[in-house]
Amino acid sequence: MKIRTISLIVLLINLALVSSGSAAEKVYIYNWTEYIPDAVIQQFTEETGIKVIYATYESNEAMYAKLKLIKGDGYDLVFPSTYFVSKMIKEDMLYPLDHSLLPNAAMLDKSLLNKAFDPDNIYSIPYMWGSTGIAVNTDFIPLARVSSWQDLWNKEFSGQLLLQDDMREVFHMALKIKGFSSNTRDPNEIEAAYELLKELMPHVLVFNSDSPRLPYLAGEVNVGMIWNGEAWMAQQENQAIAYVYPTEGANYWVDSFVIPKGAKNIKHAHTFINFMLRPDIAKLCVEENGYATPVTAALPLLSEEVRTSEVIFPPAEVIAAGEFQTDVGEALVIYQKYWEKLRSGN
Amino acid sequence: MKKANQLYIAIVFIYLYVPIAVLIINAFNANRYGLQWDGFTLGWFQAMLNNHSLIEAARNSLLVAVSSATIATMIGALGAVAMYFHRFKGRKVVFGTIISLMMLPDIILAIALLVLFIILGLSLGFWSLLLAHITFCLPFTFVTVFARMQGFDPYLIEAARDLGASEGMVLRTIVFPLISPALIASWLLGFTLSLDDVIVSSFVAGPGFDVLPLRIFSMVKVGVKPEVNALAFLMILISIIFVATSYFLLKEKAHEN
Amino acid sequence: MSGWLLLFGGFPLLLLLFTSFLKQHPEKFFELSLSVESYAQLINPDYLLVFLRSTLLAGITTFVCLIVGYPFAWLTCRMPSRYRLLILIMIMIPFWTNSLIRTYAVRIIIGAKGIVNKLLLASGIIESPIRLMYTDTAVLLGLVYLMLPFMILPLYANIEKLDYRLVEASRDLGAGPYNTFRSVILPLTMPGIVAGCIMVFVPTMGLFYVASLLGGAKKLLIGNLIQHQFLVSHNWPLGSAMSTTLIGILVVMLLLYRVVLHQSDTAADRL
Repeated sequence: MKIRTISLIVLLINLALVSSGSAAEKVYIYNWTEYIPDAVIQQFTEETGIKVIYATYESNEAMYAKLKLIKGDGYDLVFPSTYFVSKMIKEDMLYPLDHSLLPNAAMLDKSLLNKAFDPDNIYSIPYMWGSTGIAVNTDFIPLARVSSWQDLWNKEFSGQLLLQDDMREVFHMALKIKGFSSNTRDPNEIEAAYELLKELMPHVLVFNSDSPRLPYLAGEVNVGMIWNGEAWMAQQENQAIAYVYPTEGANYWVDSFVIPKGAKNIKHAHTFINFMLRPDIAKLCVEENGYATPVTAALPLLSEEVRTSEVIFPPAEVIAAGEFQTDVGEALVIYQKYWEKLRSGN
Repeated sequence: MKKANQLYIAIVFIYLYVPIAVLIINAFNANRYGLQWDGFTLGWFQAMLNNHSLIEAARNSLLVAVSSATIATMIGALGAVAMYFHRFKGRKVVFGTIISLMMLPDIILAIALLVLFIILGLSLGFWSLLLAHITFCLPFTFVTVFARMQGFDPYLIEAARDLGASEGMVLRTIVFPLISPALIASWLLGFTLSLDDVIVSSFVAGPGFDVLPLRIFSMVKVGVKPEVNALAFLMILISIIFVATSYFLLKEKAHEN
Repeated sequence: MSGWLLLFGGFPLLLLLFTSFLKQHPEKFFELSLSVESYAQLINPDYLLVFLRSTLLAGITTFVCLIVGYPFAWLTCRMPSRYRLLILIMIMIPFWTNSLIRTYAVRIIIGAKGIVNKLLLASGIIESPIRLMYTDTAVLLGLVYLMLPFMILPLYANIEKLDYRLVEASRDLGAGPYNTFRSVILPLTMPGIVAGCIMVFVPTMGLFYVASLLGGAKKLLIGNLIQHQFLVSHNWPLGSAMSTTLIGILVVMLLLYRVVLHQSDTAADRL
């Protein structure tokens, strides 16, 4: 009985602590964990006095479902990936940005603005962008053998292959091999991609859903898909892991700042975005994640190794060969159908 | 024979604790992937202490887990006892609901509860999380206590009644002491479930109240940071200390009696 | 308690049932018009395969947990009472660390560069690392690891109250250990066994992230499928239909079991 009373008291004390919120200025951010370096967040609070409350999600899908259900209430800033931005715009879930509050946006890389998923950047500003390409452990597989998505179908890689557990990214591979757009809505093209992927399924070892660099570092797989930032981080640990931009074209994506409709601290959200677009801050983000920043002024601040790395900053013609992911609207259902067939038939 | 028994228990313990040992070792391992030993370091503990949001999430998790385990055990036990001793209308329905709840995939419970909270106008935060956790702990606590109730000698109750005991007294002096192992088992189960829940929490937690599993699962795509190992080690340490102290306190009380 | 249940328990179930009869809509999560098309979509050999696979996995996991957990619970009860609680809590402590971290630790142990392989290579038993990761064995190991306390705890709660004198009496009457077990111990501990099996089998049917992390997600499980419907396909009606069917099947299995055993489960029935 005594223990119960003690624990009850402890409970009450904790409850009191929890519910006593301070009246300080706050901004609520909803993002992947560690996608913004801790040091950056602390610096923001030091400079502006605004407290950052950081909530996290583990997938775009979960974030989208939750925001839709609660109508964005409670979150000021979110970081969806490309096609989710266009989806959320279409469904009227976002608040248009006030560009007069974002002077630093003028310094952004023009090639990343005005994309199909948000023309004129009414609702979003790019935060980081990257690509999905091929990883090769050159200790086991010579680099010359893997230069295109098609090479992954090579029989000698059977049982060593890693694919991301992401429907759009996997279909991107097949669509590109066939010469189609990876944002196609044509059922025939999608079906053709499905047929091609069907051949590959028995040879896949793992459909990865967590940090892609781990299986490569652990030596479980030696070839397959990977995100460029992950490849960069893997290289820090093991030089043998190379990142290849496939000849048919890599998959490019952008994670953007957006403000959901139910946001309460809109001004602070803008202050945060503007802060993140500063070159010195963008530099910190690149160094932490290994992904590219659209803030061109940050480039001279980076170390030589990072700045010249093609893994992080691919040359223009390589980007042109690839394709940026965007929403496919109702064609998504067609992709779903084939994806389910591919994954359940194993 | 005795030795073989103890050996069996020891083997099961080894199976359960080897990964924990790995975890603890990696909390001190300079190599952040834990694949090889790069040297001893306290750096991850340092990082963990600096990571305020991680610690806050841990604290919140413990709070919710303790609360929901306690409340779920109380409600579940009362319900199981009530179910066992009384016939009341709709008993089968209640029983069916409980079992079905257990079978419900997390994501559905998560979304359904969120919708319910929205309809009720309950703002997301500590309370919504607590209610949700109690809801999914309930079937487990109920079933555990109920299984214990089978084979309960009803004549004990009759005897007590004949001697003039009221219902409340019967519960307190006879029923609860006899089912106390089940109560403890239920509490432990509820606590574990709550501490580890991800999907339900991700939907019903409010923006200001983060819990540990959410934090950790969200790191998954970018690579779980090693300071999480340090935190896990700390939590184990705290649990052991807590358990040891309550154990000795209980023992002393037993000696006094 | 009924009040609580009705509100928090009944509501999700009703919502589930209702949604499963709605139609799909690409933009919102569902459209407010009734149809049974979701159930029709369920009649699909791929889904059947997924369901069977999940059932098999959950079944094997439950079985292994039972085999490992029952002796453990039994032996714990035979221990002097001052140790019992201690052992129980020591079982639980590993489970207060996050399951994700523990799964990562399991990966480190069975991985290609993991502890098991390193030991085997060093002692010369094998020449090159054996593949343990991304196999069914890995998934089973992980699941049993996660679910073991869910079997041990209810078993313990039930076995603890077993009157050992009954066992001794049976022995005195000349029954060998096997007969004693079959006619005395087993029937008396059956409720605990059932409780334990339910508590392992049912959640395992819905678990999928352990399978993803340790098994490579090559074989889709029901949990994946349903999660997918809700989050990726945004086809809530189909997801609901799947869940309702799943629950229905499980409930039917349970009822069948009860009928077969002629269990009379309450004092109210017996008095």
